[in-house]
Amino acid sequence: MCHKYPGFGRIDSTGESNLNEIKHIFYINSDLYEKTYHGDIRCKSCHTNVTKIPHNGVENVDCATNCHIIEPSSNEAFSHKKIVNDFNTSVHGKEGSDTPHKEDLPVCKDCHSNKTYHAEYEQQQEGMTFLKVCDECHKSSDFTRRFYEHISYRTTKRRSSKEVVKLCSTCHDDKELMDKHELDVVIGFSNTFHAKALFYGNTEVPNCLNCHAPYTLGFSPHRISSSKNSESPTNAENKHLTCSQSGCHIDAAESFASGGYVHPSPEKIKISKIIGSQEKTRIQNTLIGWIQMFYKVLIVLVIGGLAFHRLLDFHATRRERNKGGYSK
Amino acid sequence: MNSEQKTERKFLRMTKSQRIQHVILFVSTTVLILTGFMLQADNWLIEAFGEYGETVFNIRSWLHRIAGVVVAFVCVYHFVYVITTEEGKSWATDMLPRPKDVVDAYQNVMFMIGFREQKPKLDRFMYLEKLEYWSVYFGMTIVIITGTMMWTEYLWPRFYLEVANVFHLGEAVLAALAIIVGHIFSVHYSPHVYPMNRTFIDGMISEELMKEEHELWYEQEIKSLDESETGIDRNEKT
Repeated sequence: MCHKYPGFGRIDSTGESNLNEIKHIFYINSDLYEKTYHGDIRCKSCHTNVTKIPHNGVENVDCATNCHIIEPSSNEAFSHKKIVNDFNTSVHGKEGSDTPHKEDLPVCKDCHSNKTYHAEYEQQQEGMTFLKVCDECHKSSDFTRRFYEHISYRTTKRRSSKEVVKLCSTCHDDKELMDKHELDVVIGFSNTFHAKALFYGNTEVPNCLNCHAPYTLGFSPHRISSSKNSESPTNAENKHLTCSQSGCHIDAAESFASGGYVHPSPEKIKISKIIGSQEKTRIQNTLIGWIQMFYKVLIVLVIGGLAFHRLLDFHATRRERNKGGYSK
Repeated sequence: MNSEQKTERKFLRMTKSQRIQHVILFVSTTVLILTGFMLQADNWLIEAFGEYGETVFNIRSWLHRIAGVVVAFVCVYHFVYVITTEEGKSWATDMLPRPKDVVDAYQNVMFMIGFREQKPKLDRFMYLEKLEYWSVYFGMTIVIITGTMMWTEYLWPRFYLEVANVFHLGEAVLAALAIIVGHIFSVHYSPHVYPMNRTFIDGMISEELMKEEHELWYEQEIKSLDESETGIDRNEKT
């Protein structure tokens, strides 16, 4: 009612000076809204505690609310409740995580940062006259369009591997945040073969989710669990299965997945204390450090020596030439 | 140095077989270095390929493997060549390190700094050339073994692969830099041969350069030439 007017909003001043103003925009463009995934859900289906006009103290939307639409496979009110529950008990959820800083945990919208308007996608849809076929029987063309969009949207991968890595990195590459939660930054991933291939645009290599939440093994991004959890695909006992998923290292030997880190950060290699039992890993990392050191020394000596020899040669040649020792 | 009427004379330094081996080694190594370091580039650079990235990646992967196989074949061939053929045996024998190389190196450095009047008389292969040659054996053994391991990654424990990776990369950096600083400089930018030493194409070395860089060898060749009148040593010809 009121929200259809552009310019509808409020400015809050939170600090002493006006520089700290926060602008709230309450305007909703109904044309655009109707084109979003939730376009056929009325405001109050989600904003359940709004009862009077004007309203204040509106709570955040709870995605586990039952919507006023019927889920066709069960004839019951639709809800994201199952997923929300799964998520809450996962390593990212308020119940599943054992971090003391629960306020930092992600919520639905941190990952489902759905754009309000997909220009490219809409354009694609315009050419789809075949939906008219559906409308021969189904009364609402809005319904058929949404139904089709839902299927096509879910079956095509919306986030590319690169985008997944970038999304996860917004938190997991933040050193301050990870230190606070006693986690390791995953910066090491960007130097792995997987990451390089992925950034070239190769779709066969795994992104974060293919190993931490492989759908083929019955996991989902909503149920990511810590590697300490015995069920987790990244648990030492299960890693072998995760690496040998179809399409990946299918013939991988048992030992292929054992030991070491898949994406070690420099800090992790140095201190190597985060995962318990890792005396062996520490020795392995030391050994690798030695090999790297060996090559560094060798490169400096050999290349330095060659360069020095070359410079001396230039020097000698010039000297001899000035003496007239050379015939040319 | 007198270079009256003999300046035109040339001597055979690389036989046809050696030149072909060298060209194959040089082309495939270049491909390997380029396609290999494409995996070490920063991600923002990789992303600059945009939509062609995946194609580039696939081509890169195959080129690297093909060139790797070619290089491995050349190495094995060279090994067989060196122990079975006459010219191969003579090549490897002359390449063997000798105490003289240490003396040569010392005297040459002293000469270059200016503490000695005379450049030492160097043989067919001087100490740096020997170092380069034997380094290739050392390096190739490492990259071929570790490369094969990474190609058959599913057979190995992760730690072995990590070690293989470190060796492969370390050796690649060392080899690439050694080729640039050691080899390319000596055959292109060295004041004696600038802009390019053409020996790898026609196999010949000019009498002048030979006298300059391999005096001992030159003297031996001249001695053996006293019997025949030709400008080319027949024993060395393919």
